Amino acid sequence: MSSAAANTARTNAETNAKTKASNALLRLDNIAIMRGQRLIQQSLTHDMKAGGITLVTGPNGSGKSSLLRAIAGRLAPAQGSIDCNVPILYVGHQDGLSPALNGRQNLQSWAKLNEYASADGEIEQAIDALNATNFADLPVRVLSRGQRRRFALARLCLGPEQALWLLDEPSAGLDIDTSQLLDRVISRHLDKGGMVMAATHLPLAPQTRPAILALNDINGAAA
Amino acid sequence: MNAFIQQIQRDLAIAWASRLDIGVILLFFVIIVTMFPLAIGPQPEILRPLAVPLLWIAAFLSILAGFDRLFAADLRDGWLDQVALSKLPLFAYVIAKAVAHWLVSGLPLLLAVPIVGLLLQVESAVLPSLVIALLIGTAALTLLGVIGASLASGARQAGGLMALLVLPLALPVLIFGVLASQPEAGSFMSPHLKLLAAVLMVLLAIAPPVAAAALAEADDDGGA
Repeated sequence: MSSAAANTARTNAETNAKTKASNALLRLDNIAIMRGQRLIQQSLTHDMKAGGITLVTGPNGSGKSSLLRAIAGRLAPAQGSIDCNVPILYVGHQDGLSPALNGRQNLQSWAKLNEYASADGEIEQAIDALNATNFADLPVRVLSRGQRRRFALARLCLGPEQALWLLDEPSAGLDIDTSQLLDRVISRHLDKGGMVMAATHLPLAPQTRPAILALNDINGAAA
Repeated sequence: MNAFIQQIQRDLAIAWASRLDIGVILLFFVIIVTMFPLAIGPQPEILRPLAVPLLWIAAFLSILAGFDRLFAADLRDGWLDQVALSKLPLFAYVIAKAVAHWLVSGLPLLLAVPIVGLLLQVESAVLPSLVIALLIGTAALTLLGVIGASLASGARQAGGLMALLVLPLALPVLIFGVLASQPEAGSFMSPHLKLLAAVLMVLLAIAPPVAAAALAEADDDGGA
């Protein structure tokens, strides 16, 4: 924190923030991320405004998932600050579904957990938006990876409009048709003023012309 | 409050969907208890004084067997991430987990005690105080298990580590519990029962914040 380099990075970040994005809803200021004892990312600064979409790219191990976890509050950044003024919906590596319950029950319990006043109709619409109606009554245990993913992503349709969606490899395991459905869900969310940050190796919602946040493997570069 | 109740409902629904697991805990309890008369012999004069301590130990061991499932599934499925981002505070989530876990593992044991007690020749006069002491004792043990399970949630061999963490801490519960189950004067509001209840109260205050702190950054993901 006290080193000269860190200070310069900090002042840069501050001037950037003042001139460029005074209405930013998500502000990452000079973030450093540790995983165990290892520094995997440092001096990350990024702003997002309403309706913005950012794809986080980079090689394996460059800290994409950790960055999303840090923004979601599940991993304290080693340095820097994260400011988020909107609710966050997170779809991580794990789908957040209980294998013992069926897809519909999983969505219902998630909606109740967040106290989103979702009528049953809304849940059916969310299931339908990702074309998962056919297997909504089967226990998640017997579903394929792609089918589970659809229920994890269906949660996004139940949340508030002005939310930040943090998506970790959202289209992993999805077939082409469902990927296009996801693209449509994402652009609809952006149109309503929502924000999306996704870590991905695959193209995602190309029609929205997303901003790219490219992470380098800082340990690989040093070696 | 709705989120709290839904968390309990969710756990009960999951437990019901895999109800064989509950049956296993109960069966484990019955089998341990059955083994004692087989090993010691059926003489009432030997069995009767041993009955209450044996029931307590059997109840402890069978409840302990269920602890490794307390948070492991939620962590593995990513449900804990969803809870952490929701309006339900983590300590309330922990209390909900404890309530649901007690309902599916502690309560069936209590219901089985009057029947299983016959095997050990428990006197019917002792039963009310035994069940009440076990009610408080299993609740206290569940809270200890919540602490152990949350602390061990990142560890690979969580089961063994948890037994090592929880069993020594459970000794006061065992000591006061056994004493409270055999009141001398016949009234079951003995000083031992009050001490047992005091242990429960202390654990009620300690366990939720400790477990919530341990789970705050618990992460099964491992990937970067």
